[in-house]
Amino acid sequence: MTALDLSLAGQAAAIASGEADAGELLEATLARIAERNPALNAVVETFPERSREMLAQAPRGPLYGVPVVIKDEWPLPWRAQRFGAAEMLAPSAPGESGPYRALRDAGAVIVGVGNMHELGSGSTGNVSVYGPARNPWNPERCPGGSSSGPAAAVAARLVAGAVGADGVGSIRYPAAYCGLTGLKPTFGRAAMEGHHMAPYSTMIVSGPLCADAADCRLLGSVLCGEELASGAPRGLRIGIVRDAVSDDVEAPVRASCAKAIGLLCEASGGEMVEIELADLDASALAGVLIANTEGMNGLTPDRLNHLDPELSPLGRGLLKYRMLLPAAATVKALQVRALMRQRLAALFDRVDVIAWPTVPAVAPPLQMPLVELPSGTLTADQANVRGGALANLTGIPAISVPVGLSEGLPIGLQLQAAWGRDELLLDAAEALETANGRGKVEALPPLAEAAAASTEG
Amino acid sequence: MEVSNRADDFIPAGLASLGLEADEIELAVIGAAHAMFWPPILELLALDVGEAAPEPRPDLSQPPPPR
Repeated sequence: MTALDLSLAGQAAAIASGEADAGELLEATLARIAERNPALNAVVETFPERSREMLAQAPRGPLYGVPVVIKDEWPLPWRAQRFGAAEMLAPSAPGESGPYRALRDAGAVIVGVGNMHELGSGSTGNVSVYGPARNPWNPERCPGGSSSGPAAAVAARLVAGAVGADGVGSIRYPAAYCGLTGLKPTFGRAAMEGHHMAPYSTMIVSGPLCADAADCRLLGSVLCGEELASGAPRGLRIGIVRDAVSDDVEAPVRASCAKAIGLLCEASGGEMVEIELADLDASALAGVLIANTEGMNGLTPDRLNHLDPELSPLGRGLLKYRMLLPAAATVKALQVRALMRQRLAALFDRVDVIAWPTVPAVAPPLQMPLVELPSGTLTADQANVRGGALANLTGIPAISVPVGLSEGLPIGLQLQAAWGRDELLLDAAEALETANGRGKVEALPPLAEAAAASTEG
Repeated sequence: MEVSNRADDFIPAGLASLGLEADEIELAVIGAAHAMFWPPILELLALDVGEAAPEPRPDLSQPPPPR
């Protein structure tokens, strides 16, 4: 195995020990992006000279010499973010963002910018000014969004780690669709400076997308500026919600998640606790309304009448529709936020984690992202937000862990924990990986598997 | 009083009152969004949240203060 195919932690260790050369790894990564990315559109820009400069100046930090991709959501000193859109709706300029500084100070090398769903406003990744990113498990399927490119890049092993952003599930959906581990840290814990919405968003965080929990711990520690210490979860109390929303999932997704929860329970010597969490539908809508309202900051009707014609019709229409939403609904959404935070605080006295499928169905087709659930046909966005918005609405951390395949497409289990217990989620994810014999996190999509086989042959 | 979900009432009036222009495709998107969002918004508005008041300046990195 070449250094290119090692895990993020493996690459860092190989470089630190002298077994791998950081310069060679960088060139090999750029070559792999050139080779595999055209089929995926995961990376929308590389800047080899900037990457080489970054490596030349890199300190011997925990990610010294390790190539990473960053979502098109933060500025870099040589590039303004575009937010996946022809028009960003907010001023943007090149600069040093928080995630950039965190990566630079850890010695990492940014090799490219990851594609994303236009304006961060979709869970599928099929709309972007750069064209859609594609799922390495099946290029005709959605990679998930809005962190579509970072997820597709890691799943195709262009890089071993990428930085995404999660405003309403935007790290966890693509992690689930692409068979990765994705951590949405507790609100405010990870670097966000320089994001155009950072001053007023109460929803968005940065976070890692990697193959497994150990890599998420390493990259997450860098983004959080503190070590996310590891431990072995003992006697984990796993909360299971049984209601119309959480049970409205495809049968294979339900079966894989139930099996994984059983394994985790057994591995930790824990117990499953059936819990009630009312108003999940309302909390999902509340999350969307708050995110939408915060995203409207600074917009005027006149501005909306002069949107860039290259912005997608979907984006233009949705922005105008947001202006029509009643303010009373947003106030009610804030009440629902308060209510759900109180309920979760009480629940986390009884359970350590809450588990449910990250998304209720596997990645839908790029051309028509609809999912068939027991309740009927829904858009993927409608379906995904049910399980994804709660963590953003309330501020709690959440993680998506790969737990199976259906129709050759990955299935993700979501674990959510109390505020500040990000480490517990990583511990639980690692315990689950081990219980699964690491098969789920080491599975490669056909594109990467075929390439690996031809290299070995 | 009967509630109207009809996009052909709400959308043109709403856009006009804000001075917003929309082409045919945008109108189709707005209509689809309205059909999707409006019924749950009405449910949300009708939801009884008891005495839950929005937290003033909530610290979302922490649990809510005990009540």
